[in-house]
Amino acid sequence: MNNARLPSKATREREWVYRSPQDGQWDELLHGSNHFRPHWMRLAAGLRRMGYAEFDKREETGQRLIQSNGITYNVYGDPQGKERPWLMDLLPLAIGASEWEQIERAVAQRVTLLNAVLGDLYGTQRLLYDGLLPPELVFANPAFLRPCSGIVPRNGVYLQNYAVDLARAPNGSWWVIADRAQAPSGLGYALENRLVSARTLPTLLDRCRTRSLTGFFDHTFEALLKLAPEGIAEPRVVVLTSGPHNETYFEHSFLSKHWRVPLVGGDDLTVRENQVYLKTLAGLDPVHVIVRRMDDDFCDPLELRGDSLLGVPGLVQAARAGTVFIANSLGSGLVETPSLMAFLPMLSKHLLGEALQMPSVATWWCGQAEPRRHVLSDLEHLVIKPTFPRFGRNVEFPARMSADERKALIARIEAHPAHYVAQEQVDLSTTPVHTHRGIEARHVVLRVPAAWDGSGYAVLPGGLARVSTGGKSLVVSMQLGGGAKDTWVVGRVSEPTSEASRGPRPSHIEIPSTELSSRVADNLFWLGRYAERLEATARLIRVLLPGLSGEAAQGRSAAVDTTLHFLEGLQLLPKEFQDSPIARQWWRLQGLLGQMVFDADHVSGIGWNLRQIRRLAWEVKERLSLDTWRVLQQLERGFSSAPPMNPDRRFVAAGNQLDDVVIMLAAFSGLLSENPTRGHGWRFLDIGRRVERALQMIELLRVGVATAPYPDDAYLDVLVQVADSATTYRSRYLTAIRTRFVLELLLTDEAYPRSVAYQMAALLDRVDGLPRPAALGSPITEHALASRLRALVHNARIDELKRRDTRGKRLTLEAYLQTLRNGVIDLSEGISARYLSHSTASRLTPSI
Amino acid sequence: MHDTKIHMLYSVTHATRYRYDAPVSQCQSEVRLTPRSLPWQTVVDSRIETTPAPAWFDSRQDYFGNGVSSFSIHERHDRFSTVATSHVRIDPRPVVSMDAIAWEEAPQVLTKHAEPIALEAFEFVFDSPFVASGPELMAYARPSFDAGRPLIAAAADLSHRIYAEFTYKPESTSIETPLLDTLRMKRGVCQDFSHVMIGALRSLGLAARYVSGYLRSGSDHQGGEASHAWVGVFIPDVGWVDFDPTNDVMPGTDHVTLAWGRDYADVTPMKGIALGGGHQQVEVEVRVQAIEA
Repeated sequence: MNNARLPSKATREREWVYRSPQDGQWDELLHGSNHFRPHWMRLAAGLRRMGYAEFDKREETGQRLIQSNGITYNVYGDPQGKERPWLMDLLPLAIGASEWEQIERAVAQRVTLLNAVLGDLYGTQRLLYDGLLPPELVFANPAFLRPCSGIVPRNGVYLQNYAVDLARAPNGSWWVIADRAQAPSGLGYALENRLVSARTLPTLLDRCRTRSLTGFFDHTFEALLKLAPEGIAEPRVVVLTSGPHNETYFEHSFLSKHWRVPLVGGDDLTVRENQVYLKTLAGLDPVHVIVRRMDDDFCDPLELRGDSLLGVPGLVQAARAGTVFIANSLGSGLVETPSLMAFLPMLSKHLLGEALQMPSVATWWCGQAEPRRHVLSDLEHLVIKPTFPRFGRNVEFPARMSADERKALIARIEAHPAHYVAQEQVDLSTTPVHTHRGIEARHVVLRVPAAWDGSGYAVLPGGLARVSTGGKSLVVSMQLGGGAKDTWVVGRVSEPTSEASRGPRPSHIEIPSTELSSRVADNLFWLGRYAERLEATARLIRVLLPGLSGEAAQGRSAAVDTTLHFLEGLQLLPKEFQDSPIARQWWRLQGLLGQMVFDADHVSGIGWNLRQIRRLAWEVKERLSLDTWRVLQQLERGFSSAPPMNPDRRFVAAGNQLDDVVIMLAAFSGLLSENPTRGHGWRFLDIGRRVERALQMIELLRVGVATAPYPDDAYLDVLVQVADSATTYRSRYLTAIRTRFVLELLLTDEAYPRSVAYQMAALLDRVDGLPRPAALGSPITEHALASRLRALVHNARIDELKRRDTRGKRLTLEAYLQTLRNGVIDLSEGISARYLSHSTASRLTPSI
Repeated sequence: MHDTKIHMLYSVTHATRYRYDAPVSQCQSEVRLTPRSLPWQTVVDSRIETTPAPAWFDSRQDYFGNGVSSFSIHERHDRFSTVATSHVRIDPRPVVSMDAIAWEEAPQVLTKHAEPIALEAFEFVFDSPFVASGPELMAYARPSFDAGRPLIAAAADLSHRIYAEFTYKPESTSIETPLLDTLRMKRGVCQDFSHVMIGALRSLGLAARYVSGYLRSGSDHQGGEASHAWVGVFIPDVGWVDFDPTNDVMPGTDHVTLAWGRDYADVTPMKGIALGGGHQQVEVEVRVQAIEA
């Protein structure tokens, strides 16, 4: 931030001003118009001391941290399927420790109750037979998974984790507005928010005596391990994700990394004889605990949803046999129906023998005559929700409807009363939010996670506060672009120091290489290939571009020749350029190269390759170190701003951009090859790189030597530059460029890291180091292939290869390179087929 | 219309054969091919054989009390067959009086569900994966349900109308054909007819379930070449009474009961997930032979 933009002291003071919101609503910070609530005192004093400008700066640091840590939230409906950086407002929501104790008790009681409800409904269903719960809520509920009936999880823990959405009523008391029992998100985001707070506001966090979050994570993870089937001393835990397109995929990968357990997709797991296994390169490894981040009905295509092949066939059977603990149990989504809230006070008395400690927002289920009458007579004061969230979570506001719309709604409710729930419209409390306009009041909803702690439920001492998008809006939704805040439970007396003093977590993770699933290996293989391909593309453009911009028209015409020859030979020339006079216009070619740099949709351009890298890296994010991820972010950031329109500036920008790409790629490759432990993960990554580098070099040799017209000096020159070998060449041969020496250096010199020979030797070494589980058969073919390729290069006779025939062609070299190329492709495909291929699952035609 | 024969003894063979274009490395299956034990149906013996032999095999009862067998095959194969063989004795079912309870009273009995059996039946009033009730199905049901008409008589009439108005046409539909398309095209096979009848009954607040089973081979009935399906209707004070809209009969000693559920999805005789395989062909062969009574 530069000095000129710093506000004067007077304005800075003013910028901390928080205008008290509307009357009749609870504000978290103020009571009356300008009295701080006691638990905010320290925080407010600390912030005032810090000053607004300094806080602004810290928030910027926080945002950078979020960006570079890759904290994102996926937005559905984005055609690019792109993640969006997490929106965090550094100003926390403060809650006093003693008030928190009440919240804690109430949340623990609620999850205990919901767990008991699940136990009954998936067991004897006494609640239905005793008339305590309308059977429709179960029988008509698509979240009631009949195949899971009768399965009792270890210790009766149906809900290992849970989250509740809380709102504060105008009188200051808390209400529950939603229960999340399926695969609740929020835990990872809450912890990540706290890490940002701890990095940017360490002193304040400590001075406010903020309760620490890490204890909860460690403690409940310990308890989770104890839920593994009896007799398993070292349970294997995995996080099961529905994939990178899930809105909270960041959290899936975050949790897996935090707990140091593998993140797996459905096809990484298999069930044999009632036991779940992780498919690794070294064979099948039993899995004892699955933290499920996939909706339950997708988890087993055999017994559950019949229209999907996600999930693990046989998983329900394994759960039934008790060989795996699934958190949460399959079918737990049943208690997410908002209709249940109308019955919880009674259920609490019946099942727990206690009164419900925290009320739910007033709820009427329209399936019963009396409540329905009330709902229809008082419609404009209520919100209407579907009873069964599987049919959508769409909330309707009758108050904002036209008369006709309201009539239509009434008709829908009357046609299917059981499908609708009405709830009182909640007046959410407000809390200060730091926006670019200053401090503003926004509505807030607090998501509080809880988890099994071994004997009951522990509640996270904090949570994910989410705020509305604008002052008036009551809709709090990450999907719609609302922001999040850290929640500080402040004022606790005896508490070990918070996260602030613990420093950042180590960025290395050590997942043993044998645990490498073939999916991850496949992603690493392609990551290696794309990184290499990107580098080759960047180098090619970097060499070709300046020639086209040379001053002399003559030099330019020669550059047009070589550029055209290389682009065409490497199949990078678009159709409209082929055999067309426009291709001879240097500025068109310059434009084309510019497109390859700046146009992200130009297939095989820089941006396009970068996107592939990004996609693959995202899928193995939990295996990449933070630094690797940061380099990738930086690499991408360079391309996020629009390029200059002015051709000259555009040309200069492209050059800079390409330099950056090459340098960042070097850093990226360096980190990649060092970090994912030098085990099989690294091996597959490196095989990918070697295969691609070999193929790129073979192609360059074909275009730059084999098919280059006579005289070929200009082509050799480009070739040597693209191969980044000009310096080496000059220092070694001390002579003008000669075909023989170029072939020696780039084809047959096994000691030179860019030569084809070097790649072949490396491939042979990597192939020999691959795991050889009996189940995969003998890798003898790959070894033979790699040896043959190496010999082929080793025995190359350069004199013969470089010779031109009577028509000036180098057909021998062309044929030789073609043989090499085919061999490399065969090797690559052989490795893929043995280690990386996933056979596609298919559903047997259901017989009748 | 009841079969009034003294008991029958059947030998039932149900073979399902899959053939794949590409080898399958692993296959997991779940089958409902073991007949239920019922007051009028005694299962003398029943077994399921699979080629290749399964690495793992297990039998249990599902949520609705049907016998289910699960198994998995881990050896590479390009064809796969399951043969279920049972011997079943069928006695005549109890005769029910056609004038029990007026149809309008049944939905109330169900919603009040004072008796456990009514609560159990209540589960079959709601939409299920293949059967969503609605105004079109209700409109189709209406003509059979005159005010005050006994439920059994009304259901029998509905069953008869489906038999009379729908064309039995194998291959004209698949299990994926939406229910309303069947209703509009008025053609299909036993699964479709049963789903239509179930949807029509549920649209009136009645409890109806899907029954899978077999028909005696060589009878004049339709639907004998594969497994068969019909409909159970819950009649308060009487219990579940079956109707076969494909043949316009109330099942008796010609019908062998396998399983029941809310619709086809709950009782699919054979389903599975194969790894690999490519294109597949399936062949089903069912024989229900009367051995001497």
